[in-house]
Amino acid sequence: MYRQGDVLIAPVAEAAVPERVKEAAGEPRDARGRLVLALGEVTGHAHAIPGPGRLVREPGPFGPLLLELPEGGRVVHEEHAPIPLPKGWYRVVRQREYVPGAYRIVAD
Amino acid sequence: MGDTEMNRTTAAGRWRAVAAATGPADRATAEAGVRSAYRSAGLAPPERVLWADSPLAAVTLLQGLTGAGRSVRDEVRTRPWAEERRRLHDALGPAGWAAHWQATGARLWDPTRSLADRIRAGVTEAAGADAAEVRLLLLDAVLGQHDAAWLAAFDGHGVRLAGLATVAEHAGWWWPYENAVVICERPVELHRDEAGRLDRGDGPALAFADGFALHAWRGMPVPAEFLAGLAHLTPERIREEENAELRRVMLEYYGYDRYLAASGARHQHRDETGVLWRIELADDEDVVMVEVVNSTPEPDGTHRTYWLRVPPTTRTAREGVAWTFGLRPEAYEPLVQT
Repeated sequence: MYRQGDVLIAPVAEAAVPERVKEAAGEPRDARGRLVLALGEVTGHAHAIPGPGRLVREPGPFGPLLLELPEGGRVVHEEHAPIPLPKGWYRVVRQREYVPGAYRIVAD
Repeated sequence: MGDTEMNRTTAAGRWRAVAAATGPADRATAEAGVRSAYRSAGLAPPERVLWADSPLAAVTLLQGLTGAGRSVRDEVRTRPWAEERRRLHDALGPAGWAAHWQATGARLWDPTRSLADRIRAGVTEAAGADAAEVRLLLLDAVLGQHDAAWLAAFDGHGVRLAGLATVAEHAGWWWPYENAVVICERPVELHRDEAGRLDRGDGPALAFADGFALHAWRGMPVPAEFLAGLAHLTPERIREEENAELRRVMLEYYGYDRYLAASGARHQHRDETGVLWRIELADDEDVVMVEVVNSTPEPDGTHRTYWLRVPPTTRTAREGVAWTFGLRPEAYEPLVQT
């Protein structure tokens, strides 16, 4: 389990990843060719994977984002130190905070 | 990445900037865009072009306007738009269209739609007794820069939407009628938080040149007077505030750390993940927060401390931090943190 700021990247056993996710088309990369795990709306700063891999949006217990790194890789961000990630599947979770009656995504 | 994907992400980024653009319109270019949009719809360009400083001013102008003829919004915007969408949908197939929308307009949709809704609500509210009439006039508006989500999806597909795109890139909302068009300037100020919500503590979050403005804190509409009072907050004033939402804004603005120090908040628990704080409030649920230290040092070598509110049932710092990631306390075990 790895944490970069407001993003948590938790390993998922490959056997637990649904077949439909393994076959799903990945999310597009950004203009710099990166997989963006979370984007700051105003600063444009992003938690991103520059290398090979695939990001799948998936509702339900595995979602909202599953990340596949067949060769391993690293997650980078403009304001946080990069974190190397071993190869495998990950669930990407954004931090939230409590608001009475609801919760909201944290703005890193 | 293929050329198509590169084009999509570039278009999405460009339209993100258009949606957030402020400052004076390029009137000549916008007017050329209007004429092009009319021509694409098979209409003669409008005889009269009128400019307004804000959507509110535009609506006021429209209320006094005679001889404009009927609204041609359907011909100019809605119909070509629907046909373009159908054409793309047929060309890409349902799954292809869904992926295309995801890559282009989807992320722009919520922030632009909520901003447009807020502007509509602000204009209607300012109209007072004329609210019903103003609501109808607002239905005739083409949202220009706030149509960015759709325009991103259509970017690079055909020329018939080029006029609409040009207006969106160079001006604000506009009202097309048979014989006249009213075009609105863009805002002069737009302040949003990282989540894209209107957000400013020391002035209007959205303002137009004529003074029409919206005030908001992290997306929550607040009165202008309320914001003016934030600069002089005291812990007593915060405790006295009866509106729970406004009190939350006050706490955030005043700073949890200051408030914690000033109010003798209970420091409830500490472990390797952080510190758990509890502020008891009369007639409201407790404010419970985890104090967390950012793992990556700031440029000056210090570590930024921040507070996240967690459910009032939280008993340990670990439980609180784990909750912020939707995890049980025993499951939260980061190997590396930066």
